Amino acid sequence: MRRALTAVMLLTLTACGTGPSLENRGQVTATPGDSHHLTIGSAGFTESDLLAQLYAQLLNQAGYRTSLLTVNNRELYEPALESGQIDVVPEYAATFADWLNAKTHGADAKPVGSPDLGETMTALRRLAAPRGLTVLPPGRAVDQNAFAVRADYARRHGLRTLGDLGASKLKVRLAAGDECVQRPYCEPGLKKVYGIDVTGVDPKGVGTAQAKRAVQEGRDQLVLTTTTDATLDSFGLVLLADDRHLQNADYVVPVVNRSRAGSAGVAKALGRLNDVLTTRDLADMNQQVDSWRRLPADVARAFLKDKGLLK
Amino acid sequence: MTAPPDDCLARNEWICGAYLSTRRRILLDAVVQHLQLTVLSVLIGLAVALPLAVLARRWGWTAGPVLAVTTVLYTIPSLAMFSLLLPLYGLSATLVVAGLVLYSLTLLVRNILAGLRAVPEDTRQAARGLGYGPVRLLLTVELPLALPAAMAGLRIATVSAVSLVTVGAIVGFGGLGNLIYAGMNTYFKAQVLTASVLCVLIAVAADLLLLGVQWLITPWTRAGRTRMPSGRGRPRGSRARDVSTTEAGGA
Repeated sequence: MRRALTAVMLLTLTACGTGPSLENRGQVTATPGDSHHLTIGSAGFTESDLLAQLYAQLLNQAGYRTSLLTVNNRELYEPALESGQIDVVPEYAATFADWLNAKTHGADAKPVGSPDLGETMTALRRLAAPRGLTVLPPGRAVDQNAFAVRADYARRHGLRTLGDLGASKLKVRLAAGDECVQRPYCEPGLKKVYGIDVTGVDPKGVGTAQAKRAVQEGRDQLVLTTTTDATLDSFGLVLLADDRHLQNADYVVPVVNRSRAGSAGVAKALGRLNDVLTTRDLADMNQQVDSWRRLPADVARAFLKDKGLLK
Repeated sequence: MTAPPDDCLARNEWICGAYLSTRRRILLDAVVQHLQLTVLSVLIGLAVALPLAVLARRWGWTAGPVLAVTTVLYTIPSLAMFSLLLPLYGLSATLVVAGLVLYSLTLLVRNILAGLRAVPEDTRQAARGLGYGPVRLLLTVELPLALPAAMAGLRIATVSAVSLVTVGAIVGFGGLGNLIYAGMNTYFKAQVLTASVLCVLIAVAADLLLLGVQWLITPWTRAGRTRMPSGRGRPRGSRARDVSTTEAGGA
């Protein structure tokens, strides 16, 4: 009786609001849809915010109404993208392909992302299509994961590449996202491909100020960041080259929910960015937001106007 | 690349006027969302907690399970709570509100129940002797007497909801929490400080507001009495209570 009451109570409590279940995935067989109000997802870091703003402004110009939603984990926003709560997300081809692969075939599945963009895109589209997701064509901008150490640390131990770090047999603590322990391009790859003695992962996020400060202050030795990080200098950090190609070609690609944003209109609007946006542009915009603390919306607008994509 | 601009934003100062002027709209939106989430979750929490407390008072054996379940809910870490509720609500403000409602329950139920239990037995007997039915007894005698304790619970629940809303940032609905988390990731001092100060201001304002409400709706506690001698006499509206109470006391 008491147990039944408890169960009824819990049901009552949890039923006091309604929302679409994430189990009701977007209809995979539906024809490409063209919803006029689109939700753009951002993964919560600066570059993702910027790309989401670029997408939103281009879509606005093309006559769509847009809203932005920031969700920090792919584990949370990808299901929302499938269900149509989020319609457009800026993604990185190889990382997203491997993430979908692990989700579909289990964590031990053979990685599908590779340094080759063509292969990566083929694999990504094969994995995304059954989930009702369309991957739009990639542009020129590529944001690879990269590892940095303190400049004086690199000098003292003669480190230029990740291979040097592995050969040095130094013990390093890695400041990265908590998902680093699973991702093949993070801790497992550093250990296996480079033989780096990673003693632990300090979950401070990818390329966050806390992560970089942890290395700057010597609490950690290695930090996971990206090739478009323009703030490394100010933390006294240098990148170690990825000499054994652990990192894949992570080109920026828009991923859309096909039943809501799979139309030619959306593809055309977002495609205008492809010939224009470079890795260097992304690094510059990142710096304006991270170091100068401009608003991502303003930085994105200035960039689009500068390139003649926005009136 | 052009040289960095020289303003308090680029210098990353804790207090920055340019931050306030460029982000006025963003700050306003965040405050409004913060207030909406807080008010909604506390009101729903109250609407759920009140019947639970009355239930627990009426049938004593239910008190144990009710308190146990609400307390267990309170101990669930917020990240886990939102993850557990995610399949039900998706990425929405409702998800955050649902989580906050569940957290507010233990504070509200415990305090309302404590208030109800503190109603003196002779007061209840007197009301019954005057022919009060259970519903009228509850509404006109027990609940008013439980108000000070219930309001104390409501104030704690509200202040804790103000701070817990920030956790909603992990699903994009965290009011000022969105700004605090984004600011922490880029070590944006002005943003972290401004949003945190606003959070504290909201909490203090909400607490003072509820204190004022309590002062207004429990006039008898100001008359130097510790007990409301209600149920001593005639039917009356709440507005006339104080006056007639004085009459009854003087009679």
